[in-house]
Amino acid sequence: MKGKQEAGGTSGFMSVFGRTQFRELPILIYILLMIVFFSFTIPGFWAVRNFENISRQIAVVGIISTGMTLVILTGGIDLSVGSILAFAISIGGAGIPLGRSIWVVYPTILLLGTILGLVNGILITRISVPALIITLGTMNIFRGITMVVTRGIYITPIPFAYMTIGRRYTPFIFLLIVIGVFIFITLRTRFGRNLYAIGGGEQASLYSGVPVVRNKILVYTISGFLSAFAGLILVGRSGFIQPQAGLGYEMNAIAAVVVGGTSIFGGTGSVLGTFFGATLMGLILTGLTMRAVDPYWQGLVTGILVILAISIDSLRQMKSRSISS
Amino acid sequence: MIVFERLSKKFPGVKALDDVSFRVEEGEIHGLVGENGAGKSTLIKILSGIITDYEGKLFIDGREMSFTAAHQAQNQGVATIFQELTVIRDLSVAENIFLGREPVRMGGVVDTNFMREKSREVLQYLGSTVNPGEIVGRLSIANQQIVEICKALVLNAKIIVMDEPTSSLTEHEVKQLVTFIRRLKERGLTILYVSHKMEEVFHICDTISVLRDGKFIGSVNKEESTPDEVIRMMVGRSMEAMFPPRERHIGEKLLEVRSLSRKGEFEDVSFSLYEGEIVGFAGLIGAGRTELAKTLIGAARPGAGEIRIGKRVFRGFSHPHEAYQAGIAYLPEDRKGEGLVACLTVRENIALSILRRISSYLWVKPQAELSVVDGFIKNLRIKVYHHDQVAETLSGGNQQKVVISKLLATQTDIFIFDEPTRGIDVGAKYEIYRIMNDLTKEGKGIIFISSELPEILGISDRIYCMRAGQLIKEFTHEEASPEKIMHVLTGGNII
Repeated sequence: MKGKQEAGGTSGFMSVFGRTQFRELPILIYILLMIVFFSFTIPGFWAVRNFENISRQIAVVGIISTGMTLVILTGGIDLSVGSILAFAISIGGAGIPLGRSIWVVYPTILLLGTILGLVNGILITRISVPALIITLGTMNIFRGITMVVTRGIYITPIPFAYMTIGRRYTPFIFLLIVIGVFIFITLRTRFGRNLYAIGGGEQASLYSGVPVVRNKILVYTISGFLSAFAGLILVGRSGFIQPQAGLGYEMNAIAAVVVGGTSIFGGTGSVLGTFFGATLMGLILTGLTMRAVDPYWQGLVTGILVILAISIDSLRQMKSRSISS
Repeated sequence: MIVFERLSKKFPGVKALDDVSFRVEEGEIHGLVGENGAGKSTLIKILSGIITDYEGKLFIDGREMSFTAAHQAQNQGVATIFQELTVIRDLSVAENIFLGREPVRMGGVVDTNFMREKSREVLQYLGSTVNPGEIVGRLSIANQQIVEICKALVLNAKIIVMDEPTSSLTEHEVKQLVTFIRRLKERGLTILYVSHKMEEVFHICDTISVLRDGKFIGSVNKEESTPDEVIRMMVGRSMEAMFPPRERHIGEKLLEVRSLSRKGEFEDVSFSLYEGEIVGFAGLIGAGRTELAKTLIGAARPGAGEIRIGKRVFRGFSHPHEAYQAGIAYLPEDRKGEGLVACLTVRENIALSILRRISSYLWVKPQAELSVVDGFIKNLRIKVYHHDQVAETLSGGNQQKVVISKLLATQTDIFIFDEPTRGIDVGAKYEIYRIMNDLTKEGKGIIFISSELPEILGISDRIYCMRAGQLIKEFTHEEASPEKIMHVLTGGNII
């Protein structure tokens, strides 16, 4: 048995891809094909300025998608990410017109996001109703509170200091850091292991002594924190705070996650895949915009991609079921 | 008349039916008995068109049938009432009876009055007082069964198959059901009555057929046979060569459970377990053994009673992790749903229960993990080509070894093995018994839950019998015999 001898060492490179058997590879190929295709067909696509643009665009959704990946890995879903973002920056940012320091405002925003995520986690683990329904509720509640408190008013202008995080490649660098940290967490830590286990079989995990409830709460809390963090970048990029921010981001995030190969049923997938998924979606949407395609088409394309990705996943699940039974 | 001719059906690793031939005469109540796993369910699934790929032939009234779907069997007059009822709880009795073939008036409007009238007729015919307008979810299980029977009658069923119909009925309801069944017989219907309750079968049936290990053992006439004879037919088989030799070295008391109760599941259960001992828990499905196990490992809280482990006394655990720390590990009966995380690798599955021990701070230490995992793969002879093989691609026996490794890794002293050999082949069973023997050699204690009598008798040092949530009898290895245990479990009155 040759496999037995190799058992000892798993190379570092393998371990990033390892557990997913290179499921990310096809998306990476699609990304390269997309870039080549758009570069030849769209004038101005192959330009530094444009890549900077794309990188800034995918940063916000990419960071939210990272949190969403953890949630979906456990077999859950978080529809409230966009609302948490809006809540955190609108209410946390209320200190800006009052002249509060950025060192007060930033932590407040992040704290608010974390608390809302925690609320999600507690509700989901206390009430035996699918996460889909709970977060559908909190999505509307968080957005509702935001609208009531701000009465729909924008916060603008924003001091210059808040723009630093949104300048040039800074958002992208933050995205890479978040992705890197969470690749490490999902693949190397006990918490990461537990996520895959819970998504793959919640009962089996429970009987193995995995603290299922605690980990689930933590996952939604992280998702809330990352949504708020993505909000900081959004504010830095746009230069104002609007209570309508983040509308529909949950769909873009879910799209990035499933296009990135994470199973909507939980248990399989990766943060790296989500990064690729977000990149691919970003490329396609930019390509469409640059070809002056009506923006209404964007939603349609996202929808088709999501259904395509989920169908592939579902087929794969059925196949493995039929093998094992 | 139903004729089964040389029926065989294989599932991966198990021969569920092996060359079964017998006949059920028209207009009789025909009992089909056998232990769990004898092939009764497979047989009725073939008869009702649910299992369609089998070898052999099936004749109804002399014509060969080859059903490709359940509704074809219904069209040929075969109605099956499964243990899991298929009524829709939110609909009314009449709506359930006519489900899928609602009578319509002109314009496509459902003829509610006709449905009610017809339903009342059928119910009255059976002598039932159920109101056709009642919502089915509000009825007792017994009355829900009546609704299913009515459904079959409206369909003009000629053959009614009943799978363990009395398993969740009270004594009074059983009597009622028996009257209904007799009425059906008077009307000329043929009834195939599947059960393993001896008393009942002898009370109701005209003829009794016995299956064992997928084979047909024989049919007897009620008048010419006794429960004893039928039980012997059900369990009789050679036990040598199925079990590895076992030496017994019983040590100190490991676990004592005192008057443990959980409402609706089990009541006042007391027992003990010693070092080096395998204690069998025999019972029919639904006797409360798994519920007891799940309470012992902290998946549920007991209502009353206490668990003593060594000198420590517990009033139950609130999470399986607490139970591990106290020293109890559980091998769930549902391997795919509760034992194994199918989409993870062998390595990740084995390490799941000991992540804390092989981590420093938050990180899992790959070296520590691999040394544990590879050790188990070698010692338990798990057949994998790599420890990163996805668990669901393994055979049933090897999957079970992975789950067992996960338990052993916890280094606890008390193990609960719930149906550890279900759905795995004979060779792998032998290996699992061997692993259990080895564990007891190290002074561990095993609570062994199984619905297969031979293995309970084959490897247990003591045997507790559970029925309807109560521990009703204890046998030593020497006292126990399949007949005695079967009598206790089925409520047969000869001991």
